[in-house]
Amino acid sequence: MSERPTPDELAEAIEEFLSGEILPTLDDHRLRFRTLVALNALGIVRRELAKLPREDDAEQRELAARIRGGDVPEGTLARVKADVAERLQIDSPRYLDRY
Amino acid sequence: MIADMREALEAVLGPISEPMLLPGGASKEAWAVDAGGERLLVRRAGGGVIHRHTLSLRHEFEVLEVAYEQGVRAPRPVAYIEALAGREAFVMERLEGETIGRRIVREPVPAGLPVQMAEELAKIHALPPERLPFLEAATIDRLVVELDEVGEPHPAIELGLWWLRENRPPPRDPVVVHGDFRIGNLVVDGSGLVGVLDWEFAHLDDPARDLAFSLVRAWRFGADALRLGGIGDVEPYLERYNELTGFDVRPEELDYWELAGNVGWAIGCLTQAQRHLTGQERSVELAILGRLGAEVEYEICHLLERQGVA
Repeated sequence: MSERPTPDELAEAIEEFLSGEILPTLDDHRLRFRTLVALNALGIVRRELAKLPREDDAEQRELAARIRGGDVPEGTLARVKADVAERLQIDSPRYLDRY
Repeated sequence: MIADMREALEAVLGPISEPMLLPGGASKEAWAVDAGGERLLVRRAGGGVIHRHTLSLRHEFEVLEVAYEQGVRAPRPVAYIEALAGREAFVMERLEGETIGRRIVREPVPAGLPVQMAEELAKIHALPPERLPFLEAATIDRLVVELDEVGEPHPAIELGLWWLRENRPPPRDPVVVHGDFRIGNLVVDGSGLVGVLDWEFAHLDDPARDLAFSLVRAWRFGADALRLGGIGDVEPYLERYNELTGFDVRPEELDYWELAGNVGWAIGCLTQAQRHLTGQERSVELAILGRLGAEVEYEICHLLERQGVA
């Protein structure tokens, strides 16, 4: 399953936040240094991520198109819900405790 | 920029205190200023809009004027300013009370709040549409267009849209609706509802849609057991609303529009993330909404199950 933002897009957003919004506000030398180190670490993460194969969303596209066409056989909801639960294990694991 | 702002504001308001930027506000800036012994709030355009159908600040100001004049509890509108340091803005009364949803649902709320919410909605839905000729009618079909613009596959949202198409209740005559009436956009204090904020999504629509918006789980701020915005039960709210309007909205209609509200917010999460991804407004806060939308999709599945979909 592929989701936006991708892991790299999320890392990029954090990078921009740290360098653009946090770093300019820091006067403390130690904190500035550590933030620069964190940005370096994030750069490593992004380069690692770039080496991973791209996720394929063809199956989700096909399913979405079928439902759009009104083709909703029994079992569709159970399957879709299981897929969303799987995404939540990554995106917001504690949310599932609310049900 | 603050100097420019100060000059433009003083031209309208006379001498003012130092403007203070308030936290929060996804697409608009809010500045607190005091002038002539009054607590004021300056609402100024930000980098982007949440939906394409967001009202301009000029139109939002006009809606607020009509609502205030018709007795809706809302901040008193003070002045519209076409160019405030380069962006449009308006000034209104700064109401005292709590607006942060998480804090409101954590504290015991005044027992009368659900009924007060119903009373304000009844007043809003009676606003004269001829005074607000720029308001557009909305249909849920608009949601499909917004989803297609995102261009990502989301089967759970598709299922929600499919169910909404198949189970549409008989349409009601459109009225002026607030469009974002929920905890978080209401000022609340110890006595209850102080004022209704954020009129930028006002449009013409089925009144039941506005009525059900507060039920959407995301707007219960974690207090899931209380279906009305995490603060109360739906029954007294619906009863009071029907008593005042004579619309006789049925609980099944609220179920329908609660689901529609979730589908709308699931798509809203994706469009907000798009603002970041397309570079319209780079923000880690917008970016992560693209992932948190999965929570709303799960709720859509849960509600569909309750409707007997398999």
